[in-house]
This record gives sequence, structure tokens and C-alpha cells, in this order.
Amino acid sequence: MTATAVARKPRIASHRPGWVRRYAAPVFVIVVLLLLWELAATVAPSPFFPAPSRIFVSAWKMFFTGPPEHLFLTPLMIENGLTTLLRMLIGFALGSVVGAILGIWSGLSQLFREVTNPVVEFLRSIPASATLPLFIILLGGDDGMRIAFVAYGVLWFVLINTALGVQSIHPTQIMMGRSFRLSRLRQILSIVLPAALPQMFAGLRIALSTSLIFAIISEFMVATNGIGYELINTQARFQFLSMWSWMLLLAVIGLLANVLLELVEARVLRWHRLFRNVGNE
Amino acid sequence: MTVMTETMDAQTGPAANAGVPLLRLDNVGHVYGTGEGAHVALEGLTAEIPQGQFTSIVGPSGAGKTTLLRILSGLLEPTSGGVYLEGERISGVPEGMAMVFQDYSRSLLPWLSVAKNVVFPLKGGPTSKTEQKRLVAESLAAVGLTGFEDRYPWQLSGGMQQRVAIARALAYRPRLLLMDEPFASLDAQTRADLEDLVLRIRAQFNMTILFVTHDIDESVYLADRVLVLSKAPARLSEDIRVDLPEPRDQISTKEDQRFIQLRGHVARLIRIGGEPVEQ
Repeated sequence: MTATAVARKPRIASHRPGWVRRYAAPVFVIVVLLLLWELAATVAPSPFFPAPSRIFVSAWKMFFTGPPEHLFLTPLMIENGLTTLLRMLIGFALGSVVGAILGIWSGLSQLFREVTNPVVEFLRSIPASATLPLFIILLGGDDGMRIAFVAYGVLWFVLINTALGVQSIHPTQIMMGRSFRLSRLRQILSIVLPAALPQMFAGLRIALSTSLIFAIISEFMVATNGIGYELINTQARFQFLSMWSWMLLLAVIGLLANVLLELVEARVLRWHRLFRNVGNE
Repeated sequence: MTVMTETMDAQTGPAANAGVPLLRLDNVGHVYGTGEGAHVALEGLTAEIPQGQFTSIVGPSGAGKTTLLRILSGLLEPTSGGVYLEGERISGVPEGMAMVFQDYSRSLLPWLSVAKNVVFPLKGGPTSKTEQKRLVAESLAAVGLTGFEDRYPWQLSGGMQQRVAIARALAYRPRLLLMDEPFASLDAQTRADLEDLVLRIRAQFNMTILFVTHDIDESVYLADRVLVLSKAPARLSEDIRVDLPEPRDQISTKEDQRFIQLRGHVARLIRIGGEPVEQ
């Protein structure tokens, strides 16, 4: 949070135009790195490190050369890529809702916070990925288990950030709501929630990135499909080009998810960006 | 207990509401905490506020003015005594009461535009959409903020923000308007403007206003009556009628001999912590 807050404040004036620093320079770095990789792979070919150009072509063929009625997605992509995407998104949504509800509760009620804090701290310190075997024993090996696992993994980020956001709400805001006889539910929905939203989004951003990680991890065990399953599979069959293609697909999904969430945030928190630019906070 | 029983009886009578004041404080007291650390903030406050009166409440700082206002607004339950709005003992925030807080930047919601802040308390209530629109337009006009509907509050100056908060209270159409040191964080000129604004809207909407302030001039200038609180534990040290000519004027009223006398009297009361003055 601090890092982003600092980054958004005006910095020392640069004589380069904004777009150079924002787009041109980063793209340049990526291109240089890819070229170096390409060069290395051509000079000293290795089955473990295919050239990036081959990975791109392979990924394109594997995922995006399907029939038009399936939006050009291949059966392989639909069976595995979309499955993982769904597990990720449903798990993220479920975990975020549960995390937000618990976070609001914990932010509003000191009693609830004090009673649940040790449990939260205890569960949170167990790496969520280490709980996968337990999830399999308890819930079996179907989609429900994987979604529950993703939701469990991400809910802490939303819970903790929401609770912090709610706790930092100024008492006058709540008192204003009470003085106009707002019901408890309306106080929560129209004062507490919007006030905590900027901080909540910090949690949602981490939750979204990690939801992809947990979706993949969930497919490493007792799976029959999904990108995680395919990664293990292609590795075991020495299909390294395919393995790299799946990883490229993961990178694309992760990037797109982040961009989408940023667009949502920019829209929902438009007031907050302007508010900060005015010099508040 | 006897007092309370009497009140109950009075209410059951046929002309129950006839001579009933809008607001009645009956032996109101408040203690924070228990045992040795207990702090008595208010003690034995009794007063009646008739419909339409402008009452200022002043007292030395730390005199429990805010505690009193919280109790009057129903946000805080007194530990002894009771508050009656139109003869009915209040428990929780009663209907028809609006509050203007000192901290306008907190009491206005930064994610809502000016118009949406003003309409906020009416949302989810029985008021129709058309009526809501009318009330918002009328209230913003009354505080001179027509044309600022789509701004965000934090894009406005402090004085304008407090006008938005006043407009929000007006749109709510309260029987009783409570103001908690509303102008304490504004500069002198803005403050004078807003004082006159409050006098204007009071006449326009025929409202009963309870105005808490630590500014002695302000308390006398605005009010029909000044309640002076003693230092903690706060009791009512004097109930002063302000018989200054209407309409009030920032310059001529403050030159008036009577004004100077009154403000001097209140100032002396506060300096000595609210003990009765020998006259």
C-alpha cells in the first residue's frame, strides 16, 4: 500500500514524456530480453529451453486454432485453460465475498476481532498450499474441492485488508449514519463498505493474483484436467515446448486478470483517485 | 422515579400534547465508566425547549457539551434522567431530528457528490423520487449552493462543505436541528456568513435549533436563549434570555449595549467555571 501511495504522488519532474517511461521503456526491456533468449536458444539449442518464437507459435497452435463457433479456442484450451480459469475466478469470488463479510464483521466488532484473531493468525501462518492434501481428504477430488481450496487460500488477503479499512473509518461517519436513523444494514452497505473499499481493493489485487497460483496448485494432485495438470503431464512426457506454452498461457491469464481488475478499480474508486490528487490523505 | 411517573400520567390526559414543550430534559446526568475511574460528565440538567426557539449551549471546554448533544440526539443513553421529545421519552435516535457535526469533512461522504450527500438520509425512506429531487434543490438553494450538485464535497472550501451538511439536514425536514460546534473550524469571515445563513434558514423553515458552541459572541448573537453549563460535572449554571432586537446584524447587533452586557455576563460565568455570579 505504501509503495503504491508513494508511486502515485508527483515525483521529481522528468524531461522525458510520460508515455516513454510508462510504455516504451518497459516494452524495450522485454524485447531485449526476448531477443537475448532467442539468440541463446539458437546458438546453443536445448530441449529444455526452446526459443521464444517457437513457444509463441506452439501456444498459438495449441490454444487458438479451434473452430470459429468456439471462438477459435481449441478443445485442449477449453478442456484445460477455461477449466482452470473458472476454478480461479469462482474461487476468487467466493473467497473475496467470505473474506469481505468476515473482514467487515471483524472491523466493526472488537469482540469478534479479539475472539477470532488468534484463529486467523494461526490459520494464516500455515501456507495455504500445504493444506491441499487435507482439502482432498475432506472434499474429494472434484471441482468443488479445488474451488474451496482457492477460496480458502485467497480469503485472508481480503479479510485482513477489509478489516483494516473498516477499522480506519472515522467514528463521525458512522455517527452521521446513526443520527439519520439508518438501519444497521444500510450503515454497512452505504457507509462502511464504500469507506473501506480503497483498502479492500489492495486485498482484492493480491487475492486475484494468488487465486491463479492456488488454482494451478490444486491441479497438481488428483486432477484429470486443468493447466496445472497439463504442466505436470507435459513435463513427465518430456513435451517441453508444450510445457512452456502452458506457462505462457498462465502469464497471459494473470496479466489480463490484473488489467481487468485495475479497470474495475479505476471505475469504482474514481472518486478516491481524484480525492488523493486534491491532496487529501 | 416520582418525576417520571408524573410525566406518564400527564401523557395519558386528553390534552396531552397541548402545553408540551418540543424538548424536555428531565434531570439528565451522565457518568462515563464505573468505580474509581468514573467521570461524571453531566449532572441534574433540567430544561424545556419550546417549539421554534433558538437555544445556544455554551460552557467551558471539557464541560460535557458534546456529551449533552449526543444524549439529546439519542446517540447516547443518559445514565440518569431522561429526554422527552414532544412528551415522549427518547430511546435511540428519534424521528425528525437532524444533526450538523463540527467535522464536516468526516460527516460528508467523500464518494458521493454534493446532491447525493444531501439526498443520502432520504434514500430508502418513504419520500418519493420527485419529492427527493425537490427537497435537494430547495435545500441547496437555501444554503446558496445551487449549481454545485455534481461536485464532490472535498472539491469545495470548508465553509461550502458545512453548507452542504446544513442542506442535508434541511432536506431531512427535522423538527429539531442540533448543531455541534458547526463553525469551530472555519475562519472568522466564513463563520459570520454561516451564522447569518443559519438565522435565515431558521426563519425560512421555522425550525427549532439547539446550537452548541464555545464561542460566547456566537452563542449570544444567534440565540433567543443561552444555556450556560458549568465546568465538569456540568450542571446548568444559568438560563439566559437574549432580548436583542430582530433581525440580528453582524455589526449593529454587536454594537448594541445589551449585546455587550450579555456577552460579558456569559464570559464571566464561563471564566469562573459556571458558578453563579453575584450581581
